[in-house]
Amino acid sequence: MSDEHKKSSATPSEAPLHGLLAEYDTPPELLHAAKKIRDAGFTKWDTYSPFAVHGIDEAMGIKMTVLPWFTLCAGLTGLATAITLQWWTNAYDYPWIISGKPFWSIPANVPIMFELTVLLSAITTLVGMLMLNNLPLPSHPLDQIRRFARVTDDKFFLMIQASDPKFDEVDTRQLLETTHPVAIEAVKEDRVTEDRLPSGLVYGLIIVAVASVVPFALAAKARYTKSSSTRIHIIQDMDSQPKYKAQRENPFFADNRADRPAIEGTVAVGDARDDDHFYKGKVAGVWARTFPSQITLNEATMERGRQRFGIYCTPCHGQIGQGDGMVAKRADQLAQGTWVPPSNITQDNLRQQPVGELFNSITNGVRNMPAYGPQIKTEDRWAIIMYVRALQRSRSGSLNDLPPDARASLK
Amino acid sequence: MAKGKKGSSGGAEGPSGDNIRLAEVGQSLFVKAAGVGVAALAVSAFLGAGENDGWSRFSHSYLVAFAWVMTICAGGIWWITIQNIVNSHWSTVIRRVGELIATNAPVLALLALPVVLPLIMGKPILYKWADSSLMTGDLAHKLGYLNTKFFSIRFVFYFGFWTWLSYYLLNKSLGQDKESKEAAAKTVVTMRRVAGPAMIVFALVVTFCSIDLIMTLEPQWFSTMFGVYYFASCVLAINSSLALSLMWLQSKGRLSASVTVHHFHDLGKMVFAFTIFWAYVGFSQFMLQWYANIPEETLWWKERFANSWGTYSWVLLFGHFVIPFFGLLSRWVKRNKKALAFWCIWQLVMIYVDMYWLVMPTVSDEVPFKLIDLTCWIGVLALFIAGIAYRAKNLDLLAKNDPRLPDSLAFENI
Repeated sequence: MSDEHKKSSATPSEAPLHGLLAEYDTPPELLHAAKKIRDAGFTKWDTYSPFAVHGIDEAMGIKMTVLPWFTLCAGLTGLATAITLQWWTNAYDYPWIISGKPFWSIPANVPIMFELTVLLSAITTLVGMLMLNNLPLPSHPLDQIRRFARVTDDKFFLMIQASDPKFDEVDTRQLLETTHPVAIEAVKEDRVTEDRLPSGLVYGLIIVAVASVVPFALAAKARYTKSSSTRIHIIQDMDSQPKYKAQRENPFFADNRADRPAIEGTVAVGDARDDDHFYKGKVAGVWARTFPSQITLNEATMERGRQRFGIYCTPCHGQIGQGDGMVAKRADQLAQGTWVPPSNITQDNLRQQPVGELFNSITNGVRNMPAYGPQIKTEDRWAIIMYVRALQRSRSGSLNDLPPDARASLK
Repeated sequence: MAKGKKGSSGGAEGPSGDNIRLAEVGQSLFVKAAGVGVAALAVSAFLGAGENDGWSRFSHSYLVAFAWVMTICAGGIWWITIQNIVNSHWSTVIRRVGELIATNAPVLALLALPVVLPLIMGKPILYKWADSSLMTGDLAHKLGYLNTKFFSIRFVFYFGFWTWLSYYLLNKSLGQDKESKEAAAKTVVTMRRVAGPAMIVFALVVTFCSIDLIMTLEPQWFSTMFGVYYFASCVLAINSSLALSLMWLQSKGRLSASVTVHHFHDLGKMVFAFTIFWAYVGFSQFMLQWYANIPEETLWWKERFANSWGTYSWVLLFGHFVIPFFGLLSRWVKRNKKALAFWCIWQLVMIYVDMYWLVMPTVSDEVPFKLIDLTCWIGVLALFIAGIAYRAKNLDLLAKNDPRLPDSLAFENI
């Protein structure tokens, strides 16, 4: 229907016939009429009622909708999108360990899979339903018929379109009369009402569609351009705080340094590490073979050592120091070839090592074992050694170490 | 819709001219089921004694079967309560069958005795906490809840409440059959007023009952989702069982015209919905513990992902969710009796597989399926059916005087 054609037409009565409308009082009458029209082989016709009439689908011979297939396809698309998106971002493009899980961790992805499946299914079902129903429908020839207004109240209607191949104005009217309608009315084409969407709505939708591309465009621009300006500080007092950080400039001091180095010839309280036995594990320049006097060799120290060993040593060396901790096991599994396995701390050469040398290994590290001096307090390092000695003793016990009755039970 | 106007012979004729009494069919079902049940449990006891393990194997098999049958009964109680709360019209023709399944609560309580009696007597065959001396270390502080005395009180309350609620709703509904139109309409409101608050108590009972009977098999493990997880199976079980019961009744010429494809379609939708709900809750329970990765929570999963249980867990995921999801997705499946029956049986078997997965890894590193599991299952199910048949044989299978019945009979599903 072109615009010129519309404007040229004078009155609605001169418009061509759109169809024949029949009105009924009750749903059973409508159902009865619908069956008749269905059986007569019409294809372009519809029924109208204030509420869903049970059995109308069958009476009209309406086939099952294809909408569920739209929903299924959309759901599977959503599922596939969610899997691909998460695999691409987490495992491929930017592999990043989160919570110690594998890069591509299915359980963590399931909520997104679920949500995208539901989201795409729901939106597609809604949009598909609208499309299959020819909605939105800005105008319809039936809107011109006064009696049709009661379709939203208490009347039931059936209309056969003039464009139906079986339609014949006289014959079809006779057929409709056999269904005993309250009234039959000829419906003319609508030449007056605009049958397009209001232009305001169309422009509004276009603006929304364009605006929704803007964030993506900005993100794409940021990805491929460089900028020398600082980033935007949204929370000012958090980003720039009135304090000096290490290695920064401070004009207050003559040397313009924010950090203040120790004054020459002074030692901070607690920093005077002048006891070589305690702090370096050395007596007269050689590795100490005894524990320093600051360490009390009792059960409390042993327990402290057991705890610290559990926290710092077991990840690599294992619960009883066999070099089979979780980290070592994992490294073996990965078999990357760059891994120096942790020592079995109960092996002979370590059993014979002076305690001072063990202390030095813990403090400053050995091979690829890092220095634990900065992390573990000096007393605790000695406590760990005490526990290590106990482990070594326990792994080298002989039958003679057992009490006589236990010995007898093993024989 | 036509109401029962013909002079009904002893109330055995329903509104659509249906036969609504089981009568001799119920009696024969009762005799057969009771016989099979007693025989199967006798074989189970014989096999259990042969294990020579202090009844541990028998008890665990029996617990799986009991937990399974409890999903049907507890689901039934939930189902009749929710129909009353929401003033459901569509379900009126099938509500009585639901009520007859739900009122099996006292039978369920009797069936619970082999699980509960050793526990109350302090024998840690199933539950470590039955013997408080075994609850050492971190477990000691759970003794305030996990002790035999408090459990006995809870057990009586759980089954007492279920018995009361199910019988209350059944008796009101039976009374309605003989009432005048006005009185019957008032009874609907009375039942609804009771059903609302009762549902709150039901939620607590099914939560704590499932926690007590299944979750505490491993007293160190805990999940706040557990009650909901079990509840998901309950709803799945009752909707599947209702569909199958109605099909069986129709095959015996009962309720033939009253219950239509539209009612089966709705039951099928519920089976489908709660197939998804089960997966949703099960995954929620799993994911949070998997993510947090805390030893006291992951120990339970570790057992279920190790050895042959690992494969078993995959079977559960695909068998209980993925396959039936696609199986039940289509509309025609829910409207085709044979297809729906297939998936209802499938899901009932999968609920058993699920219960087995909840119970058995506590005592076995490998999937230990044996004949005794099957005999226990058959025995408990048969006795459960016998209980229903015994009560149902002389009662109307349809709430024939419910004011919502005409709507239900005329119900149409899109």
